[in-house]
Amino acid sequence: MREEKKFDCSHLEQALRDETPELMAELSRHAKECAACREELRLWQEISAAARTMHKDWPTPALWPAIARSFEAEAARSRGVWQRIQELLPAPALRWQTVFAALALVIVSGTGAWLLLHRSGGMVPDNQHLLTDQAVQQVEQAEQNYVQSIEKLAQLAQPKLAAASTPLMVNYREKLDLLDAAISDCRSNLEKNRANAYLRRELLSFYQEKQKTLEQVLQEN
Amino acid sequence: MLLEGTLRWQNATQEFCLPRPDDPAAEHVRADARVEDARLAEACRAGSLEAYETLYQTQSARMKSIAMNLLGNAHDAEDAVQETFLKIHRGIRHFKGQSAFSTWTYRILMNSCYDLRRRRIRRQETPEQDLVAKEETFEAPAPMNDHPLRLALEKCVKQLTPHLRSVFLLYEVEGFKHSEIGAILGVSEMASKNALYQAKRRLREMLARQPESGTRAAAPGEM
Repeated sequence: MREEKKFDCSHLEQALRDETPELMAELSRHAKECAACREELRLWQEISAAARTMHKDWPTPALWPAIARSFEAEAARSRGVWQRIQELLPAPALRWQTVFAALALVIVSGTGAWLLLHRSGGMVPDNQHLLTDQAVQQVEQAEQNYVQSIEKLAQLAQPKLAAASTPLMVNYREKLDLLDAAISDCRSNLEKNRANAYLRRELLSFYQEKQKTLEQVLQEN
Repeated sequence: MLLEGTLRWQNATQEFCLPRPDDPAAEHVRADARVEDARLAEACRAGSLEAYETLYQTQSARMKSIAMNLLGNAHDAEDAVQETFLKIHRGIRHFKGQSAFSTWTYRILMNSCYDLRRRRIRRQETPEQDLVAKEETFEAPAPMNDHPLRLALEKCVKQLTPHLRSVFLLYEVEGFKHSEIGAILGVSEMASKNALYQAKRRLREMLARQPESGTRAAAPGEM
């Protein structure tokens, strides 16, 4: 048979920590005989008794109305966004039709955009001034032939220009020098951006002007 | 009907919260309290203002008292309670019922009080010790059945660490059980018991050093 260990002062801490009914009953019994434990228990109970009077209560008639108002304010804030969306929509009877129409529009335009993208192999010119590689090659080929023709014309006009004696012929020569400088400038820009259609058109206009000027030189007596 | 049921719940909760030995006869009362607790949570989740008002009527007295003892003045205490209700209103969708609704609301209250206190300390850039010294007087009237130790004890409680202070206030002043305190503060029941013991031992030491406390307490070393 197991003998129960008698409660003594060494059990005081455990009793006060656990506060189980059994331990507290034993502590009370022990405290009748032990002055130190009795005083400790008394203080412990005094603290608890004083603590119970620390409960504070005071009337707060405005507190619940304030809480209810803050609920309303919050609900109004969260309603605000949805309400603004609803205000943009037509009358309730037409809302479903509007939603369906909007959905249909999104589906049609989305499908259209998808088809456009995939038919052109996923490439969309992001700049109208830019040409595709194939087109650039064709333009450069035509340009080369055109330049060769103009060079031939220039060779024919060269003797006349070299012996320029009239102010008109000097003007033609200066104009051709200017056109050559402009053509050279335009070409160097095109080397940086071969597919720039605007520069190509400008270069073509310079060549056309050169051709016209050379023809005028050749017609001059 | 809701109010009637909740009043039953309130009484049961208070019963449930009293630090008394397990009473098998009270088990059905506790079960009723749990059902009412869940019902009130559901009504609040549904957005019923009446349910929130019921929660306020049943819990605000204890909430105010806890906040008052933690924050030291009635104005901040009322702010904390109002903030708590707003947080409950905002967060009720996230309440999964893993703990009692009342426990959850007190956890929010404790966090609101800590937040408010931190904000106040930051705003005033005042160390906590100085802040404690400034909270010498309570605005709330003294209770009818006052205790001669109360004022001295209040002074000493303010000097406890926040955790020990919270456990002491919840258990000794407001009558929560250790299991509830554990759930509110996110600690085990045993940790709550240990914290209470530590708190009371420190209070006993502090009171022994205060001649005006009126205690004839012997210093711990004298015993």
